[in-house]
Amino acid sequence: MPAYRSDRRFQLANDLFLVLVSLTMFAPLLHLAAVSLSAPEYVGAKLVTFWPRGFSLEVYRTIFGTSSLWRAMGVSVYITVVGTLLALLFTSTIAYSLSRPQMPLRGWILKGIVLTFVFSVPLIPSYLLVRTLQMDNTLWALMVPGALSAFNVFIMKTFFQGLSAELFDAAKMDGCSELGIYARIAIPLSSPVIATIGLFHAVGQWNSYFSALIYIKTKTLLPIQVLLRNLVVEDGLGSMSQIQTVDLSRTSTPEMMKAGILLFATLPILIVYPFLQKYFVKGAMLGSLKE
Amino acid sequence: MLKKLSQRDAALLLLLALPGILHFLVFRYIPLGGNVIAFQKYNLFKGFLESPWVGLDNFRQMFAYREFYQILRNTLLLSLYSILFGFPAPLVLALMLNEMRRMWLKRSVQTLLYLPHFLSWVIVGGIFVNMLTTEGFLNTVFGWFGIDRKDYMTDPAYFRTILVSTGIWKEVGWGTILYLAALAGINPNLYEAAMVDGAGRWRQMWSITLPSLLPAIVVLFLLRVGNVLDANVEQVLVFQNPLVREVGEVIDTYVYRIGLLGAQFSLTTAIGMFKSGIGLVLIVGLNAFSKRTTGESIY
Repeated sequence: MPAYRSDRRFQLANDLFLVLVSLTMFAPLLHLAAVSLSAPEYVGAKLVTFWPRGFSLEVYRTIFGTSSLWRAMGVSVYITVVGTLLALLFTSTIAYSLSRPQMPLRGWILKGIVLTFVFSVPLIPSYLLVRTLQMDNTLWALMVPGALSAFNVFIMKTFFQGLSAELFDAAKMDGCSELGIYARIAIPLSSPVIATIGLFHAVGQWNSYFSALIYIKTKTLLPIQVLLRNLVVEDGLGSMSQIQTVDLSRTSTPEMMKAGILLFATLPILIVYPFLQKYFVKGAMLGSLKE
Repeated sequence: MLKKLSQRDAALLLLLALPGILHFLVFRYIPLGGNVIAFQKYNLFKGFLESPWVGLDNFRQMFAYREFYQILRNTLLLSLYSILFGFPAPLVLALMLNEMRRMWLKRSVQTLLYLPHFLSWVIVGGIFVNMLTTEGFLNTVFGWFGIDRKDYMTDPAYFRTILVSTGIWKEVGWGTILYLAALAGINPNLYEAAMVDGAGRWRQMWSITLPSLLPAIVVLFLLRVGNVLDANVEQVLVFQNPLVREVGEVIDTYVYRIGLLGAQFSLTTAIGMFKSGIGLVLIVGLNAFSKRTTGESIY
């Protein structure tokens, strides 16, 4: 913490600037909310900025009544929950084994994992692999290939190594097997790191759309982000009709529907974000740990 | 008995690690081996065992394409601009945050600053695409200053500006976290001593703060430069449209469009190999350079 003689004018200008910058991070979402909650004539006349005018819930009535949106939301929730559990299981088991000195071939496996930092995964061969494994056009293609990262394995391994060795030894004396130590001691003591890695993975899984774009052909298996992407990129009414039964009546404009759907898909993130921020920040710090 | 027990432990540990080991082998190493199709004329129905070998033909073809130099240039320019403007941004922001004295305000500001990092590129795209069209909010604001309305999304001249700015908007707050952690670790005695010696705010920043942050800066910079040929596909694909493709097409999106959608598997795998080859050389080279000059390295 630098210690200067207090310089009020500088402080004030600095604070003011940062407050303004931080408001620009939030303002667009507020604008979306205002647009989606206004009456169409105000939106059409560009009179809505950050507060709804001619308050109307029509957009949300339509969204909540659109089964394809709910379905896509369901797919997203499914891949987020199952994908995260899968990632945690894979990460914690290999990280635990690698944290134990008794692990055979430990050095070689660690080297093999470090190397994956350096080589990026090539797109075309991965795509062909997923096809060969017949995972394409299934939700597994969205969850399995990205389940493990060298980074997460190292973070968790470091955490396990920081747990008290005496505890592990004592359990061993009492006849606990390595499997028992993993399940009954290592995992229960690791909730901070599990929460952090799990949350990061969950957010990534929820937000990504590229794998779904390349692997999923069946419309009913598309996660919400792909639906949104079609709405945003291909723009306009053409893709609106893709989300069937969206009724573009006098009660809303396409712009309002778009705003509403975007917010609808962001809602889960916005709801968990304030509560989980401290885990996220802690997680980003974990990244600075060096072996 | 003890020996037997430790053997059982070793077996259990291996078993426990097996899913993870297999995952790395299958999804990280097999695709690397799959790069061999860059030396084939790969045919989806024949598979890589039956497809004919063509030596370096795909690489020759790649370098013969005029289009290849175009996308290489696009990729490099996009990266260089985003390094030039995007790399210092979180550093400056972190230094400013560090000067805040009202802790409650600092915490609220940080909460808002981190938020966009958690929004998907689709959402961010949806927000900004809307803002940048002829009818959009940006044009309304510019209109107050007498600037004519135009569609920024379809004008190639603005593509890179849009990508770099939205990239900064989304990640600048999050990027401060590592710097803030490093800032919190600086010994306050250094500042007090400097103040006794009559050093002001700028002098302290120049002589204490920045040198303390140097390790973090160097490591982050190396990682960033190593990825100079990687674009954020999810970001580019949201902002790209046919009208801006001459500047908007980068290696990663080209591989997706021509390779996956156009089924030109071998040629685009060759391009992908070229890209990772450059990345590898850069990261190893820069790391060695940095180790010698600054003493900092990533591995």
